[in-house]
Parts: sequence; structure tokens; C-alpha cells
Amino acid sequence: KGAIDDDVAEADIISTVEFNHSGELLATGDKGGRVVIFQQEPESKNQPQCRGEYNVYSTFQSHEPEFDYLKSLEIEEKINKIRWLPQKNAAQFLLSTNDKTIKLWKISERDKRPEGYNLKEEDGRYRDFNTITTLRVPVFRPMDLMVEASPRRVFANAHTYHINSISVNSDCETYLSADDLRINLWNVEITDRSFNIVDIKPANMEELTEVITAAEFHPNQCNTFVYSSSKGTIRLCDMRTSALCDKHSKMFEEPEDPNNRSFFSEIISSISDVKFCHSGRYMMTRDYLSLKIWDLNMETRPVETYQVHEYLRSKLCSLYENDCIFDKFECCWNGNDSVVMTGSYNNFFRMFDRGYHQDLTLEASRENSKPRSVLKPRKVSTGGKRKKDEISVDSLDFSKKILHTAWHPLENIIAVATTNNLYIFQEKPN
Amino acid sequence: MECAFDAQKLISISLRKIQSSRTQRGGIKLHKNLLVTYVLRNARQFYMSKNLSQTQRTHHYEDVAAVREKQEYLELSGSFTELADDFYCNFTGVESDTWHCGAHQPIGQPAEVAHQDASACAMVSPSDSDLMVSEDCWSCAEIKSSWELPIPNAQANQKTVLDLDTHVVTTVTNGYFHSDCCAQSKQPQGAQCFSKKRKMDTSYHIVDPEFYLPDFGPVPCKRMRTDDDSHSDSEQLDSTNISNLISVLGSGGLSEFVSWQQTDLEQIFASQTICLKHTLLTGSGWTRAIEAF
Repeated sequence: KGAIDDDVAEADIISTVEFNHSGELLATGDKGGRVVIFQQEPESKNQPQCRGEYNVYSTFQSHEPEFDYLKSLEIEEKINKIRWLPQKNAAQFLLSTNDKTIKLWKISERDKRPEGYNLKEEDGRYRDFNTITTLRVPVFRPMDLMVEASPRRVFANAHTYHINSISVNSDCETYLSADDLRINLWNVEITDRSFNIVDIKPANMEELTEVITAAEFHPNQCNTFVYSSSKGTIRLCDMRTSALCDKHSKMFEEPEDPNNRSFFSEIISSISDVKFCHSGRYMMTRDYLSLKIWDLNMETRPVETYQVHEYLRSKLCSLYENDCIFDKFECCWNGNDSVVMTGSYNNFFRMFDRGYHQDLTLEASRENSKPRSVLKPRKVSTGGKRKKDEISVDSLDFSKKILHTAWHPLENIIAVATTNNLYIFQEKPN
Repeated sequence: MECAFDAQKLISISLRKIQSSRTQRGGIKLHKNLLVTYVLRNARQFYMSKNLSQTQRTHHYEDVAAVREKQEYLELSGSFTELADDFYCNFTGVESDTWHCGAHQPIGQPAEVAHQDASACAMVSPSDSDLMVSEDCWSCAEIKSSWELPIPNAQANQKTVLDLDTHVVTTVTNGYFHSDCCAQSKQPQGAQCFSKKRKMDTSYHIVDPEFYLPDFGPVPCKRMRTDDDSHSDSEQLDSTNISNLISVLGSGGLSEFVSWQQTDLEQIFASQTICLKHTLLTGSGWTRAIEAF
């Protein structure tokens, strides 16, 4: 997906990527408010080990630009997050959100259509009643597959600030939405009300010190959720304790290393993404330079820390100037929680194998990603002497960034979004 | 390794970011602007600490008046340091003696980091002054009228804040907050109001980014610019600039400002570079830019 040439239309910039629970469907959202869903083709019988490719399944306009006349503000149509609901019937449901409004979409297939109406022609025109002399039973006849996306619910007017996260609860009935200062709890069926469960807005905005950057429900415990802050803290809340979860049950925070103190310490410690592992035992956070794995039973420090691109620490001034320091990288777990992945610059993305303590840097680019070709590991030269095939820090293209990645829940298939292109890679079969 | 940085440049860049965020699609990004204010605060702390140490090192011989002025300045700078600690973000982290660009320092290196001396920084470009005197920020006619104050003593300095969540109008008058009963009146009400003495002007704060409603009720409406405005703009601009400084300095702040510099404000605004330096010392420019949200 995406343009071949370098001229990137801003509307085509991919802003979110998400596999559904089976991995069969992959949804992407872009700055233009569109959602594109890819479907994995069934495995070929001839090549059972070669997983099916992903092809476009459905495309629809989820959000349109709006204008808030009261505040004289334009509301961007950019899709900030997409989250799939667990499948209950033949149709698929997903939640998509922009800065202000969350929508529930139903994606359903239609491969049959009724024919043989008594009162209508096939094109829908009503027949002349005088010509009807017989009665017949309409029947379903096959037709070309049509995928329909229809908005079933619109959850609006609940967020004063910009929505950054949505997360579906394991009870499959509720979900949360988080903006900079508040988190609301919704019932999927009810659009006219939501419960505010976290509110960190100070009485006096002058006392504002941090904002909410991400939030997620626990994968198994329907009463538990976490939210991260711009100060680098993660708070775990239990909804059973009180209606308003301003008081956290646990707070995860690593003390700052005073040797690393800089003008930009607050910026690089801000957490951009938080993700529970599938088992629910650990959670992962992404800040500007690193990935951290936290054990929910230990709040004092992460159990694992992975440096994504430590060589950027000396470049923070430039990255601040060109706004790259504000990029919000996401992260993801693989299906069995043994590998974590996140993006970087120059269209690089990084994988960290927790078990084997190995890390890998790969590049998503058309030149290096011929179909069926094996990705070659990349390396950034941090020392004085650059080895062959290494790329120097100064040569990195900071306009090419991978902010959004997703890992198939069951297989080793990954989706990596560059600016306006989506790359899907799979593990090479032996 | 990037060690060459400029605290003034950082401040200038940060101001531009805040300024440009006001015109970005989708409204002001609260998260990003909060982070920018952290950088501003850090750079300013560094700049002031450098400036203070330089002032202490120079001027071995001074007359009594100059000494008194300097002592006053140092005392005020000391108060600014305290105020910086009381910065709205309640920063409790370790305040390093050495602000650096983020690059790792080799073990055993002295604490002083090689960086461009703040006082030897490049002259600020004239465009930087726009950051402090953005006409768009204060185009409301009624706000302007309240700022056309006799110099030097500032009186009746007012800002109006509307909290979109509670619909409570808060008016800041001479450093005191007054929570108005409803959005219908912008004057402080006797009942149901609370007062909170605001710290001195250099307290950084982010006001709710969505509260300025040019078209909402009695809140002053944005005045349309006309051709006639352009001719009177320079004078308006100057008085606006002066008023800006007055308002951010808060009650009593202006007299201190004048005593420090011993220049009148017209001279200050005649020279934009001096203006920026004063801004750095007083912390007014970017504070105002933030308040403009």
C-alpha cells in the first residue's frame, strides 16, 4: 500500500496499524481519515507453508474534518487509533478514533442478493401492479463479494482534549478512551454517556505537570488498566477500588539517571506507548530512546531495558529543532511474548529477542524489500570508523520514520508502516 | 557529538514552536507544548545561572550606586532561581550544575561542559521579537484597552480565562485569581470566588489551551484588522509590547524591571536584541506566549 514516488500526500500518511484477533485482517488508518483493511488470502494448498498474502479487503472514510465553532478549532480527521472488537458473528467490528470522536464500524460481507421480488424489478423500480399475475418466492443468488463498512455507533462529545488511546476491555462490552487529561469508560452499545474514570486535570491549569500519553486495558483482568504519562510513569488502576481511579493501585517509575540530565530529559522520558503482553504478566513502554519491559509485580524499575537508538542521544538538539524528538513511536509484542518490536528512523525497525538477548535492525524500503527476498540486517555505525554496510548516524534520514508496527497475534507476520507505505513481512519458511 | 548549543537559541526555537502551534491544524497540542515549556525552563535556568556567574566574575570596581543596583539584581536573580524551582511543573529532579545538550560526558571530565557562552551568542534576529509581540495574540480590543496603562506602575492588569470543562470564568487581576460565577460576566464576583496569590511573573504556566473564545459572550472579540490599523500598528505594537511586559511582570514587577535596566521601555523595544535579553532575564516573553493560548 502506498505511493511509489517520493511525493507523499499528507492524507496518505499512515497513522495507525492493527491486526484483528485472528490475524486474518489488518487495518490501517491514515491522516486523511480513511481506514483500509487488508485480508490474508487463504493458504495455498500447493504451498502450505507459504502464508497467504494480504490484499485490500475494504476501504472506507471513517472520519471527516470537522470544525468546532464554539472553540474556533478545526478537528483533524486523522485516525489516531484503531482497535478491533473480538469477533462474535460473521461480521467484524472495529473502533476508530480521531482527536475527538470514536466510531464503531461494522464490516460485513455480502455475497448473495435476493432476486425475484414480486413488487420490484431487479433494478429497484416498482412494477406496475396490473401486470402482476403470479406470486413467487424471492431467492438468494450468488453475487460478487461486496464488503460493506457501516458506522454503527458514534461516541462523541466526551473529550475536551485530544484522544490518544482506545482500548477494548476483555469483557468485550466496554472500552476506554483516553485524552491528555482524562480517561472515559464506555459501553460499546451506549453512545450518549460515558464514565470518567481518570481525571488528572488540576484545578488550576498553571499546576499542570504531566499529561496522559497512552492507556490500555489488561488483556485478562477486566477491572485493570494502565495509563502512561509524559513524565515517564505508568499507573495501574483497579476499577473495583473506586469509581474515579485517580488514585493508582501501582505506579511504575524508574529513577532518572542524573548523569543523563539534559535540556531534553523531560521530553525523552515521556512515554509514547504502553502495551500489555498477551499473558498479562508484563507490560512494555516506549519512550524516545528505549523500550522497557515491566513486571507488574515490581514497580521500582523495569526488568528489561532495550536501547532502540542510543546514538541519537547526542543529536537531541537537532532532533528538537526539527521536531523529531516529539515523534511518538509505538511498540508491539509477538504472539508468544518472546520478541518485541518498535520503529526508528531511516525506515529502520528493531526487534529484541528477550529469550536469546539478541536484537535486530531491519529496514523497510522498496529497494531492499523485493518480494520473497530476505531482509538484510542493518547496523548503524556509532564509532569513529564506519564498517562496510554500516550507515553512519549523520546519514540517517529522519524524515523516514517508522512509528507504527504490528505483529500478527499467532504467526510471525509483521506489519510495518513507513510514512505512507505499509510493508508486510513474514518469517521465511524453512 | 553535539556539544555546541545555545541556550538562547533553544529558547528562541521553543518560542517559535509555541507560536506556530497556535496555527496548527487540530488545535494546540497540550502534550507537545508542555514538553516545550520544560525545555524553555531548563534553558532559561541555565542561561540565568550563566549570566549570574558572569556578572559576579566581572566588574571588580564599581561605585556605590552600581553596587546597590547589582545587589538588587542579584537578589532578584536569586528570587528568580527560587521561582524557577517553583515552576509550575514542580520539577523535583536533580538540578545539574551543567546543562548539556544530552551528549554523554566522558567519565572524569570536569563538570563544566564545553558550550557556547551564553553572552557571546549570536544576535537575535529581528524576527525573534515577533515571538513576544505577536499581534495575533492580543488582537482583542477590550484586552488592549486594559493594557494601555500608565507607565511604569501597572494597575488593573487583567486576563480572562474560561475553563471549558466547568464553564467558570477566571479573571486574573494584579496577580490575584478571581473565579467568576458564570461565563456571563468577566468582572470578579463577590460570591463564590476564591483568591489565590499568584507567584511573580516568572512562574511558568500553561493555561487551558482551549479557553480563549474570541466569540464567546462577553469575552472580548477578535478585532478585525483594517488598513487603518497598519498605520497605528507600530504605536499600538509598542504599547502592546510594553503592556505585555507589564502584565507578565505582575504587580510591582515593572518597577523592579525598570530599576534593573535603568532604561525606559521605549528604548527597550527600539532594540529587539536587548528586548530578548531582557526577556531572558525576566522570563516574560515565552510566558506570555504560553499564556496566549
